[in-house]
Amino acid sequence: MFTRKSLVRVVALAAGLATAAACTATPPTSSGVATSSGGTAAAGSAGSGGAALVVQGDNGNPALVRNFNPYLVANNLRGNFLLYEPLEVVSPIDGTYSPALATGNTRPSSSEVDFTLRTGVKWSDGTGFSAADVTFTFDLLKKYPALDAKGVWTNISSVKATGDKVSITLKAANVPFMDVIAQTPIVSKSIWEKVADPTKYNDPNPVGTGPYVLDAFTPSQYTMKKNPTYWQAAKVAANEVKFPMGTTNDALSITDGKFDWAYSFLPQVEQTFVAPDKAHRTYWFPPGGTITLYLNLSKKPYSNVDFRKGISESLDRTQIAKKAVNGYLDAASSSGLILPNLEKWLDPSLANRGIVTQDNAAATASFTKAGFKMQGGQLVDASGKQAAMTIMVPNGFTDWQQAAQEVQQELAKAGIKVTIDNPQYAQYTSATQSGSFDAAFGGYGGTGNPYTDFNNALNSKLTAKIGTATTNNFQRFSDPAADSALAGLAAATDEAGQKTATDALQQIMFNQVPAVLMYYGGSWGLFTSKDYTGWPSKADPYTLPTPYNNSLWTVLTHIKAA
Amino acid sequence: MPYALRKTIQFLLTLWAAVTVNFLLPRLMPGSPTDAALAKIASTGQVVTDAQRRAIELQLGSPSGSVFSQYFAYLNNVVHLQFGVSYTDPTQPVIDTIRQALPWTLVLIGFCTIFQFVIGTLLGVLAGWRRGRGIDTTLTLSTTFAGAFPPFWAGLLLLYVFAFKFRWWPLGGGYTDGLTPSLNLTFLGDAAAHSILPALTLVITGMGGWVLGMRNNMISTLGEDYVTFAEANGLRTRTVALRYAARNALLPPLTSFGLTLAAVVGGSVLVEGVFSYPGVGLVLYRAVSNRDYPLMQALFLIITVTTLVAIYLVDMLYVRLDPRVRR
Repeated sequence: MFTRKSLVRVVALAAGLATAAACTATPPTSSGVATSSGGTAAAGSAGSGGAALVVQGDNGNPALVRNFNPYLVANNLRGNFLLYEPLEVVSPIDGTYSPALATGNTRPSSSEVDFTLRTGVKWSDGTGFSAADVTFTFDLLKKYPALDAKGVWTNISSVKATGDKVSITLKAANVPFMDVIAQTPIVSKSIWEKVADPTKYNDPNPVGTGPYVLDAFTPSQYTMKKNPTYWQAAKVAANEVKFPMGTTNDALSITDGKFDWAYSFLPQVEQTFVAPDKAHRTYWFPPGGTITLYLNLSKKPYSNVDFRKGISESLDRTQIAKKAVNGYLDAASSSGLILPNLEKWLDPSLANRGIVTQDNAAATASFTKAGFKMQGGQLVDASGKQAAMTIMVPNGFTDWQQAAQEVQQELAKAGIKVTIDNPQYAQYTSATQSGSFDAAFGGYGGTGNPYTDFNNALNSKLTAKIGTATTNNFQRFSDPAADSALAGLAAATDEAGQKTATDALQQIMFNQVPAVLMYYGGSWGLFTSKDYTGWPSKADPYTLPTPYNNSLWTVLTHIKAA
Repeated sequence: MPYALRKTIQFLLTLWAAVTVNFLLPRLMPGSPTDAALAKIASTGQVVTDAQRRAIELQLGSPSGSVFSQYFAYLNNVVHLQFGVSYTDPTQPVIDTIRQALPWTLVLIGFCTIFQFVIGTLLGVLAGWRRGRGIDTTLTLSTTFAGAFPPFWAGLLLLYVFAFKFRWWPLGGGYTDGLTPSLNLTFLGDAAAHSILPALTLVITGMGGWVLGMRNNMISTLGEDYVTFAEANGLRTRTVALRYAARNALLPPLTSFGLTLAAVVGGSVLVEGVFSYPGVGLVLYRAVSNRDYPLMQALFLIITVTTLVAIYLVDMLYVRLDPRVRR
């Protein structure tokens, strides 16, 4: 019952609560801000490596889940890459190997690889690392296919250990797949053999061989400290690494200087990020993949190579890149190689490094060859019908959306009627994979390995009938010459053989236009060199600035205290 | 009591319908959790492979069996409050995720809702009593103006001005990164500091409705004969305003208050999103974008059941407040 008295009491209580909240709030506010935003700056005892390194962490759900199982790919915490090490780390830029748990490898044939293991490596619980851990790891992936996200056992047939040598035999000649084998994170046999069901195991207290060990875990941040028994401890500069959870308003925290290393696309990065602290803030946006217009090759007129060439020649790729990625990156090479990352494999016979520029005369010639002609501003086929296509761009991919609108305008000038369709990602995948689309935006390449890039896009074995879903080669390209070049590249163990096969694949990519490669998508590395220097950069491109893969390991064993 | 019995049967029937719809709804949505997990991987620029798809399908364990067997298993789990494991993290039971988020939402949104209602209603009484005077115009205009802001927009504005430019309060989150939630004073103080801006947003944008609603009810009640009679009898002004007019004018707002209070458990998706506040609203947002069916189902179920219970309780409370419905 609301009597006058009780009403007064309620008001008094409410007011009291409000003041109480306000009072307790004010003092901790200032200190709260100071520790969260000034955390890196405050502890800046230069040269000692004492300042905690702050890396933008994973998104929470909305709290972080303490799960360090390195094989559950859907929810892998970044810190995993500092805990569990692979045999060797492969550069995502050009595929160069850096030795880790193995000191190196030999390839007796194109279907065999032998790794020599490093001696004297210790797990963080003090036990010694040995070949038994490696064989145990691979057996674990064989026993639990749910953990084998890279499909190791679809490609290898056996793993044998003799002394400190591990020999792995593949089912068929496949030198490029050795990258995947080399990068499999190795876990401790003595710990993991006791785990009842590794597919449900959250590994809360990880024991690894890596440069860091888990120090503290809270729902909004985890902290790792340097592993004192690490085999290359001298190369590890930071004594402590913090991973605060990624949040919905990280863009503000980034410009506020919360992180030493963040990964985010920021518009006008010079003004928004660099300008507040010109002396210390840098960014590097190298290409990480190619944004591509995939045409459904099982449909007319896209099955006609001249029509595809006409499309390719109608596009002003630089302008598209300007619209999509602020011009941070430029037109992609139609050779299928990501440049400059894979420059050393580039076929020198390709004009302009394989970059196709807008050329309306050439486009008209190509369209004519394909049986189309311009009529009253419309590109029409023999029956007088205007060429039309619907481009699918997944909803929420705003940069792709910007690019698609530019493509639409440019193709409109060429007389083609373009409609843009923005389905949810799930619908986009099911439509593209089952082959019910005209044209779709998608990513191409970016693995650092030319074979894997070409294979995913061109291998006729990876394609499927219309109506059957396939993840790779969904544009349904099929050419025996490409298949044999791919087989040649997979089997080639020497550089000359690899070069011949790669050249052939570039020619196919360039001349047959199995996909219209448009512009490079970026890796958005943002760095602060106040406490640590030696971040990857254009001048020193030792790895990509991506904190969500092995680059984290590479960078943190490379940087120095400022 | 036939009224109570009728309401109880109605409650149980609606509850069953809600539980069933909650089972069906996620199954009618396009896309699968595997697609959502792969989309997350693809959005970082990595190439999605068939092996990845297979591994994730195995990890998540797609639903099996006929729709009916799934339905009965689901009913059984609901009764035992078992909602399975989250698809986003197959090692974490859904109920744990919700248990972590619920206190944040209950405290922030709950406090703000009660605050809005109590203060808003009192201001409404005042405005209605002094209808047409300066205070009425000021109150009605200012709260309506503030209420016209969409909460997320007001939130962004406050965040930019007070957290980013002036640095009076933190940039978001429920507490400083690295602290472990506990009930000691340091943590509570820190959490309170992080709650000020979201609370301010909710109160500013949410109070207008209560003021306006109560004011208008007051005005129509003040026209009733019994109020004139009470005044004519020489009762004190305050007694007339609060005991006679306000008590009767309160009935409609009380119903909506019950519903609003029930909606508290759903959190405020937009405001929690703007401030990265670790409450149920943010969990709900992430669950939907990750196609995390078990998590979504559990949340929707909790929200609907709380709403139904609140309606039921308000219905029962009416019997006490309004003697007319007893018949």
